Amino acid sequence: MNGSGNWDWDTKEKYVTDINELKKKFPSVRELVPSDDGEKIATTVRNEERRFTTCVNGETWEETFERIYSLKFNPAGQLISLALRDYEWSVIIDREMWEDKFDYIWNLTLSPDGKNIAVNINKDQMSAVCLNGNIWENTFFDARDVAMSPDGTRTASHVLTKRRAELDNVGFMKKNWTVAVDGNAWDNTFLNTWGAVFSHDGSHVAAVVRTDLVQYTIAIDGTPWEQTFGVVWEPIARPGSSEFVAPVQTPKGWTLAVNGKPIWGNFSQVWRQGFSNDGSKLAAVVAVSIGNWTIAVDGKPWNTVFNQIVATPVFSPDSKKIAVAVKHKNQWTIAVDGSPWSETFENAWNPVFSPGGDKVAVKAERNGKYFVVVNGKIGKKGYESLWDPAFSPDGNKLLIRCVDDGKYYRRVIPVNEI
Amino acid sequence: MAVKEKIVSRDFKEYVREVNPDVGLDESIKGLTPEKIEKTIKAVLGARTARIRAVLETCIHCGLCSKACQWYLSNDGDPSYAPVAKMRMTIWEMLKRDGKVDAEFIKQCARIVFTECNICHRCSMYCPYGLDVTFIIGLVRRVCFVLGVVPQRQMDQDHAHATTLNQVWLGQNDWLDTMQWQEEEVGAEYKDLRIPIDKEGAEVMWLPLGAEPKTGIYHIERTAKIMHAAGIDWTVPGKDVWDSSNMPMFLRDFATMQRIVRGLFDNAIRLRIKKMVLTE
Repeated sequence: MNGSGNWDWDTKEKYVTDINELKKKFPSVRELVPSDDGEKIATTVRNEERRFTTCVNGETWEETFERIYSLKFNPAGQLISLALRDYEWSVIIDREMWEDKFDYIWNLTLSPDGKNIAVNINKDQMSAVCLNGNIWENTFFDARDVAMSPDGTRTASHVLTKRRAELDNVGFMKKNWTVAVDGNAWDNTFLNTWGAVFSHDGSHVAAVVRTDLVQYTIAIDGTPWEQTFGVVWEPIARPGSSEFVAPVQTPKGWTLAVNGKPIWGNFSQVWRQGFSNDGSKLAAVVAVSIGNWTIAVDGKPWNTVFNQIVATPVFSPDSKKIAVAVKHKNQWTIAVDGSPWSETFENAWNPVFSPGGDKVAVKAERNGKYFVVVNGKIGKKGYESLWDPAFSPDGNKLLIRCVDDGKYYRRVIPVNEI
Repeated sequence: MAVKEKIVSRDFKEYVREVNPDVGLDESIKGLTPEKIEKTIKAVLGARTARIRAVLETCIHCGLCSKACQWYLSNDGDPSYAPVAKMRMTIWEMLKRDGKVDAEFIKQCARIVFTECNICHRCSMYCPYGLDVTFIIGLVRRVCFVLGVVPQRQMDQDHAHATTLNQVWLGQNDWLDTMQWQEEEVGAEYKDLRIPIDKEGAEVMWLPLGAEPKTGIYHIERTAKIMHAAGIDWTVPGKDVWDSSNMPMFLRDFATMQRIVRGLFDNAIRLRIKKMVLTE
């Protein structure tokens, strides 16, 4: 059932399960997690014996666990979670647990198609990554974060190569952190490192590295750029190349750089950069001056600025438009190509474009209820809980995943009837 | 432990202190060269901004700042503890000598700015011109930090923040495990007491100090009970940054300072929480 083209766009409403009933049945019901297609709703529940299990569409698994967390549906509708059973942690796919068990697992990471699953693992006081049940051959004294190649076949993590001694500042300066890719640590080590990311073809990895107490740069496959900076934010891969783009702080201000060379002008801040789907445009959140935030596209900032938050920019599928959630004067709204909607909200999530790029939908909060908003028009119905809306392939309908009067529904609504 | 032996500054004879060994100062100066020191001082102080000049060119050495300083007051009015004296013995001397000072001088500076000033800003309140003396002390701390001459424990905390984004070297797994374990512990007393991790849209995101999940576990239990009793819709972040302390600020490690603050706000934006509640 991958892709919204295979979803049911004809049934107007499906009542899936009664959440209030679930709350009566169990002492504790945790956060609700719907599948992408809205057909399933999952949660963790705790029983009277203080043990946890999972409940999908009101049906509770028989098996119980000491702990369960990090529930996620993959695009195929399988539920992935991390669970502790008999004091051993492992990954559960639907009801099947991986054979390998660990002392702890975290940072559940799925490939875009959901077929590949990776986690950081800790076992016998050593850490690594486990991909699809296969632990890296090499383990490390610490591992932080999981990076996965777009095809899901390769993983990387920031790793500690020598055990740390208490208050050993001299030892720290010997540079003990690096990036391990598929379990193989780069030859070069650094004071610290973060933000590892794969190139689109999965053949290169870049990360922020600290080469001296006050010098930062980007290392690609272990080799740092020649230029260093006051600080550097996380890189992203340039589509169709082995290059990476990262925000860097220079004496003149913040800019974006490729191979250590600035490619934009200077701003008070630059971050959350991203390429359009066709790779032709590059956008980022910038501060044109202190407290004046906006989006810059290919180095050119929008004319409108916002004084609190500009979240992550979202490109339309045709790469022509950008929408972003912004907070200005304590009110959230959505700005599309620099023009904010007139309606404002207590909260607004990241916007979603229709396949044709002509419509923008978002989940927003007003007076404690959650609404679907399309192109600035607020939906009639406010919900107790709501998840990001999704457009049908023709862009004329919206999938609404919501809790209404204590019940979870999957609804399909024509866009012009919201 | 303090050794009953005195050190007397070669540059300022009135500066007499007990020897108090600290490898962060004693050992780290060994690798310094005059060239590196000069280059660092010029890099940090080179651009004489209006803010720097406002302090250095306006101060008339009246000494009224002294009575504001707890170090001066608690050392029987010893003038070498006066804020103005601390500027005189550090930044003014660096500028007077155009950065040509030796490693021993840097150690003296580090001792003064890290261990004899709390950066409390009271001296600015007593200054007839309202000069920001602690900004200047901070610049000297920056010089010392760039040279790696920082008291051992303070430098260790900075390394911890830079590496793990918390001041106590807690691994990502330990943070999550501790929150889950604490929920189990406290949850036994209450029907549905929770420590929600990464709850999107919660009203409040609680951000502890790093020491709480490591050595002050009971703080987590109490915070959870307070949130539960008050009926607050709250959460803790499941990803970095969750430690609201910012020890790199005291070293003027600007990069790590920014990473911490940015990380806290990134979590707030990611989870769309409405308020951040910080331990202090």
